[in-house]
Amino acid sequence: MQSNFEKLIGTPAEWLVNGEQSGDIVLSSRVRLARNLEGKKFTHSSTSKNLKEIRDAVKDAVLDTDYLKKALPIDMDDISESERMVLAERRLISQEMVMHYKDRSLVASEDEQLGVMINEEDHMRLYAIGAGLMLEDVGRILSSLDDQVSGRLNYAFSPRFGYLTACPTNVGTGMRVSSLLHLPGLVHNNDIRKVVDGMRHVRLSVRGTYGEGSEVIGNFFQISNSITLGLSEEETIRNMEGQIGKVVEFEKRARDKLIKEARTLLEDKVSRSLGILRSARLIDSKEAMKLLSDVRMGVGMGLISEVKMNVLNELLITIQPMHLQMTNLEVLDPEQRDIARADHLRSVLK
Amino acid sequence: MLCQICKKREATIHFTNVVGSDVQKIHLCKYCAEEKGFDYLKKSNIEKSDLLSGLIDSSLGKGTGSKKQDSCGNCGMKYSAFKKNGVLGCSQCYDIFRKHLHPLLRSIHGNTRHTGKVPPRYIREVSGKRKVISLREELEKVIEEENYERAAEIRDEIKALEEGKEAGRDAE
Ligand SMILES: [Zn+2]
Ligand SMILES: [Zn+2]
Repeated sequence: MQSNFEKLIGTPAEWLVNGEQSGDIVLSSRVRLARNLEGKKFTHSSTSKNLKEIRDAVKDAVLDTDYLKKALPIDMDDISESERMVLAERRLISQEMVMHYKDRSLVASEDEQLGVMINEEDHMRLYAIGAGLMLEDVGRILSSLDDQVSGRLNYAFSPRFGYLTACPTNVGTGMRVSSLLHLPGLVHNNDIRKVVDGMRHVRLSVRGTYGEGSEVIGNFFQISNSITLGLSEEETIRNMEGQIGKVVEFEKRARDKLIKEARTLLEDKVSRSLGILRSARLIDSKEAMKLLSDVRMGVGMGLISEVKMNVLNELLITIQPMHLQMTNLEVLDPEQRDIARADHLRSVLK
Repeated sequence: MLCQICKKREATIHFTNVVGSDVQKIHLCKYCAEEKGFDYLKKSNIEKSDLLSGLIDSSLGKGTGSKKQDSCGNCGMKYSAFKKNGVLGCSQCYDIFRKHLHPLLRSIHGNTRHTGKVPPRYIREVSGKRKVISLREELEKVIEEENYERAAEIRDEIKALEEGKEAGRDAE
């Protein structure tokens, strides 16, 4: 019989596959809520016995909700480290949970739209993800899941400070709202710095994703709120949607300008990138990410029509080291992994 | 490229370390980076806790004179440990360390009062308190406008609300 882990990763994530209708610049919208149980010490100061009790109580409660009654519970102590790394590459659990897995669990819907991390920094991290810019919808679904859970468990709450979290940076709404954006146009015309500074000014944070260190690879950026106290959930989401809308406008303008000034050059670049992805025999993740970024932009601008956006989106996940490792029985060394990555890209993009 | 520490796994994390005029490049695998506290995925956490301890230190100087508790009776967390790790031990820590936390929360969030969602059990209590707060704001405004008639009405409303329940100990 298939394990819950196998079921979960055997199904593509809804937010990646659905990316087709929702435009190419905003890949995903994610909202998470940090919640703790009343009268229980926070995760890092609890004993293993207490953590197990919390885990059981949370699992019972969330699996009893309308939203998660068919969800897949996975105890982190029951799966291997590589399997945990696969879940982290799919963003279903945090890197923190790969390392600290004892008495930790994940309950996620099979389509990966809703999930609950149990005993991470907080007893519960409820999250919802959707394709494109749809923070309001995602926030609304997550809030109703939260309502249902709060009818079954008593949350740690103070009228003054709101939902009490282990770290005071999350206290209040406990809500972190984020979107993943692809901004090759703004990186190309160097306006990305201005955008990042502008976002900081309105207290949103911008981080490069899929990057290594401070380097940003593939022009992917994550924008998220940094304030959780003093703004309501609705205000936070509306504010984010507004700001992201502006960034999307800037990116579109940058792309328009690019196509007006150097159409042939651009067509040449994105087609060559697709050509390399379709024929390489050895490719590291950095190069693959850069080329996928080119092709993504080409598809988004209508310069390439033979590849679909959702196929590219899924590749962003499946070319990662642990996903490549998963289909191989033997441990791949870096070169073997680059071969496996090239094979995978050729077979998907042929 | 192989990891500079274990020389076995692929280096996926690259750092540029600037020491004076000397630029060092560091290439590590996920595991070794994690061990060294360099993991880029955790980088935001590291930054957060650095930022936090900076803020905690700077907010400590203020508001001396009032006696502040330095450990939580429920979980045993010491305030010095919170300063170091950036996480509190239990929900009661928020109450115990309240005096420390006010300036800290103000520097992180620019605010110290939750205005968002409320769990069902707290709705009545919180909506009463929020009503009082907004009436107080209105009161200040009408006094400024020298509308003393309206001010008297508002005072009565506030009084009624506060008498209706145990006076808001939180409504500071
Ligand atoms: Zn290593
Ligand atoms: Zn405590």
